[in-house]
Amino acid sequence: MSGERAYRALNTQSLLQQVILRYMLDGQAASKRGRLAWVTSGFPVEIPVAMGITASYPEQYGAVIGSEKVGPALCGFAEDLGYSEELCSYARSSIGSTSKPGESPMGGLPKPQALLACNNICGTVLRWYDAISQMTGAPVFLLDTPPVQGEQQPHHIAYVRRGIERLVTFLSSTFGVSLEEQRLREVATYATQAIDLWTKSLEACKNKPSPLNCADRFLAMAPIVSLRGTAPAVQFYQALYEEVRGRVSQGIGAIRDEKIRLLWDNIPPWFDIFKFFNGLAKRGVVFPADTYTHAWSGSIEGEDLFHNVAALYSNVYLNRGLQAKVDKIVELIKDYDLDGFVMFSVRSCKRYSVGQLVSKERVTEQTGVPGVVIEGDMVDSRLFNEAQIQTRIDALLEMFQ
Amino acid sequence: MSGRLGIGLDVGSTTTKAVMVDSQGAILASHLVNTGPSGVKAAHTCLEELSRKVGEDTKGVPTISTGYGRSLIHFANESVTEITCHSIGVHRLNPMIRLLIDVGGQDSKAVRIGENGRPRDFALNDKCSAGTGRFLEVMARVLEISIDELGPFALKSNSPSTISSTCTVFAESEVIGRIGAGEDPNDIAAGAHAAMANKIGTLSRRVGVASPICVTGGVALNPAFRHYLSKQLHAELWMPDNPQLTGALGAALLSLECPVKS
Repeated sequence: MSGERAYRALNTQSLLQQVILRYMLDGQAASKRGRLAWVTSGFPVEIPVAMGITASYPEQYGAVIGSEKVGPALCGFAEDLGYSEELCSYARSSIGSTSKPGESPMGGLPKPQALLACNNICGTVLRWYDAISQMTGAPVFLLDTPPVQGEQQPHHIAYVRRGIERLVTFLSSTFGVSLEEQRLREVATYATQAIDLWTKSLEACKNKPSPLNCADRFLAMAPIVSLRGTAPAVQFYQALYEEVRGRVSQGIGAIRDEKIRLLWDNIPPWFDIFKFFNGLAKRGVVFPADTYTHAWSGSIEGEDLFHNVAALYSNVYLNRGLQAKVDKIVELIKDYDLDGFVMFSVRSCKRYSVGQLVSKERVTEQTGVPGVVIEGDMVDSRLFNEAQIQTRIDALLEMFQ
Repeated sequence: MSGRLGIGLDVGSTTTKAVMVDSQGAILASHLVNTGPSGVKAAHTCLEELSRKVGEDTKGVPTISTGYGRSLIHFANESVTEITCHSIGVHRLNPMIRLLIDVGGQDSKAVRIGENGRPRDFALNDKCSAGTGRFLEVMARVLEISIDELGPFALKSNSPSTISSTCTVFAESEVIGRIGAGEDPNDIAAGAHAAMANKIGTLSRRVGVASPICVTGGVALNPAFRHYLSKQLHAELWMPDNPQLTGALGAALLSLECPVKS
């Protein structure tokens, strides 16, 4: 056992690479055919997919930029154009990459013919896509989803539903395509199947030891974002769930020696993801739950698909109030029997990070477990001070001794 | 000398501190030097001084390192964060303390101490140097007085200037502006301390203000800082005799739990 690595890689990793390679090739082919849209991560992609439009995800590409450790360079290109360092690093690196695709991983995202933004994850996406529109000539569609406070109201859903109808009109006129209800139902079924399997894999992490760690989930979530509503996503999550189930039945954990179970809040530092989580794995720290990968859940299936799309997509984690976030974290800490939590205050992502100091207090009050807030960014490594973060994490871990 | 000994080494950004304790945790010797360019060299200087003062070889004595440079001390049995070490050190000196405010050269921390002497919650300053010793060093330089004189100088003011508490660099520009406007240097110095106390007050409220409150770290020696922090928190502050040594003391106490090297 002593020679075994602290972190156990998933066998499904190779399948994930194949699926993502196919996604990228599909994107390039669709761009050449004039059928590619860039889409925000929380957009109801089932609609364009059902209409034969392929989706590419700049936020996911931002994760690639971060992982490839070229965030500062690509963000720098946007800053050279006059964009503020305070702007989201997904937006900056996307604008930088679009201005200099030759200096971007894989030559940049394929050129879009439309830009589909939904502000359920943040308000920056609209201006970001406006900037991309100026650079590429692709038109922007905004699906407006006002924030939800407390219970979702019927008039709120009705408003978003009208946006979905406008989306269909926009896609029809932009691409010369139409929406068939039967096809949308097929896409909805694929999306539901993938999300169900993904949710089962996430919930398997309630087991001790946890079969997945944070980095596993952050990588494995790629198809639920980028291939939602397609058959390859269902196949991948079926394979992942089989592996997770196998680990659980054999008592195999994601890390060799699980001692401390923590929750992770927010997007990860993509440029440091393995070093960070595997470094902690060596110290027996596993993250069986996080708020980010749990954000893709729910189904649009049912009688009235447009109503369901409007209800689901406007009621996502980041579009709800602080109390909803606190409730979710408290629920995860209790359900997954966690010892503490780490909140990553991401300078880029104001929507995710604002309120964390208050949330931290409330979560500790309600659960009795300690937490820590660390500061940095998901793509721009210039904002990540390793020594300061190490001290905060070390101090949290010392509380468990 | 007979009996078990322990050493704590606190390698801070500005000063390095060492404390040697006996098996009961009583302090036998301590030493403080400027960290300078090499934390390791400063640590060795401290150990030599401890050895000289106690008349014992420090080799083989269990040692815990802490502070900003803790991971540089490879001969230490373990490294432990300054958050835990200060908490344990303060608890030893005054078990009633529930809120510890430590302000060092480049960071400041507020620690809620549990009844067992261990941290229950903590908050540290962000990447900005406002609210740390560096802030006061910059202000002293602009006012052309030494850092040791700054506190007494500020206490002469009855009407502190308003200084931004958000950024050391901007606050420095602001101070230069106040000097240019002919404001009383005592008032400007007082304003700088009030601004710093404001920043630390916010940090403290993040973990919950609970009396009695202890202040440690090099900045705790500054009487104007203590005055304005006390006003800010509406509470009396308690300061140990050697507020710079509590981290090293906590580390030394923890070292007593380490196995003795053969």
